[in-house]
Amino acid sequence: MRQVYVIGIGITTFARLEYPLCEIAAYPAMMAMKDCGLSGVDHLYVANMGGGRVNHQTGLASAVVDSLSLTPAGAETIENGPASGASAIKQGFLAVASGLHDVVMVIGAERMREVNNLEVTDFIATLTHPLAEYIYGVTLPSLAGMFTRLYMDKYGVTARHLAMVAVKNQNNALLNDFAHLHQEITIEGIIDSPEALTNNPYVAEPLRFFDCCPVSDGGACVILASGDVAKRLDKPLVRLAGLGQATDTHTIHERQEPTDLLAVRRAAGQTFQMAGIKPADVDVAELHDAFTILEIVESEEVGFFNKGEGHLALERGETSLTGELPINPSGGLKGRGHPVGATGVAQAHEIVLQLRGDAGRRQVMDARIGFTCNFGGFGNNVVCLTFIRES
Amino acid sequence: MAREIYAYKCRKCGHLHYPYRMVCKNCRANEHNEFDPVPLPKKGKLLTFIHLYSLPPDFEVPKLGLGIIELENGIKITGQIKILDPKIGMAVKGEVEIVRREGYDEHYGMVFYQV
Repeated sequence: MRQVYVIGIGITTFARLEYPLCEIAAYPAMMAMKDCGLSGVDHLYVANMGGGRVNHQTGLASAVVDSLSLTPAGAETIENGPASGASAIKQGFLAVASGLHDVVMVIGAERMREVNNLEVTDFIATLTHPLAEYIYGVTLPSLAGMFTRLYMDKYGVTARHLAMVAVKNQNNALLNDFAHLHQEITIEGIIDSPEALTNNPYVAEPLRFFDCCPVSDGGACVILASGDVAKRLDKPLVRLAGLGQATDTHTIHERQEPTDLLAVRRAAGQTFQMAGIKPADVDVAELHDAFTILEIVESEEVGFFNKGEGHLALERGETSLTGELPINPSGGLKGRGHPVGATGVAQAHEIVLQLRGDAGRRQVMDARIGFTCNFGGFGNNVVCLTFIRES
Repeated sequence: MAREIYAYKCRKCGHLHYPYRMVCKNCRANEHNEFDPVPLPKKGKLLTFIHLYSLPPDFEVPKLGLGIIELENGIKITGQIKILDPKIGMAVKGEVEIVRREGYDEHYGMVFYQV
């Protein structure tokens, strides 16, 4: 297999966007093309989950390839729930690594706010098992809430730890121009003060409002290319060095160990093995914190901390922007936002930005190895990526 | 006749599944549909639970109790709970009732009560 590099990146603001889904997908692609200075690509992948249901637009990639005037290049829409972004990057990697294509564009885009909140909740709930979960009224926050209660019971994670993740990530997002939330929050405001229960009400008790990521629109793009193309450009060489993917049972009640995220563990193991590195080698990570509990648990399952000790590392400040292993410098899903199909690509965008040294006020010093974890469904389909700066 | 919720027993190796899947998770050797439906027991232990305040469509209640229950035979099930003060490990008993109304459709599932 050939080596694969990221040569161009682009991203929209994550917010409520009043543009059609196709434009939300095309805009970051135009940015990424300017970034690498190319005028054409061999193939296009577009990651998107809700196009057909929420935006009345199926075959999104076919619409986008024409909007960008990249026809007759091939194009496919990739859907893997919230892990669509990383899955699309994986497909792009395979296309270049195999030698089939030299330059592949990978876009992730989502426009969730075209419909109201009830419809969005239902759209996300379609990820659950139709007969064993959906009919009961189970939504994704419900699954996260049940998982959180088990984690609190078994490992002593408290509401305060969850709030620490929210505060850290929203503070990081303040330094990120494209982030959805530019809202400063404090532990006092969301946990300690008498107003906390009003500021931070229960959504799926024990999970609270500030433990859940916002509903966002947005798009991101990365351009993957072979070594020959990458080395001709005057940019730091960032290589997509490892991929990993694993699945688990559809229903969460059938998981082998209710407090484990086995698919995360396996996917991370694969990506590290492929990249030839250990978890301790990672300088910066973007984890999938759709719910604050997930950042804590994923940091353990991928191997950064021992099982059940992620919240202790968080307490010590190890995962803050100035800590030993900054997690979610962009603000993560919590602060940056979570347009479902775009997230995996946005995570890669942030890592590439960090490894190039272009992250401005939220730059992690000397970042050379970056890691992303894109969590599909509720842990039943996880894709992890490793990026290494070579120059 | 009271309704039941069924688990599915592989005819090749006897492994019990809930919910249904096409290929046996244990032996992967069954032919298509070679499963026998076995009604789930009603008594069990509450493993985890939540109260959902951010409700999906079709539910016009202030909050919804949901939980994962381990039944007597080891099978786990996700269900609604109508328990005032739930605790992890609590003994519960299930009833098969209407759990969701989608338009004119009535969906039946397990609702668990405190024993």
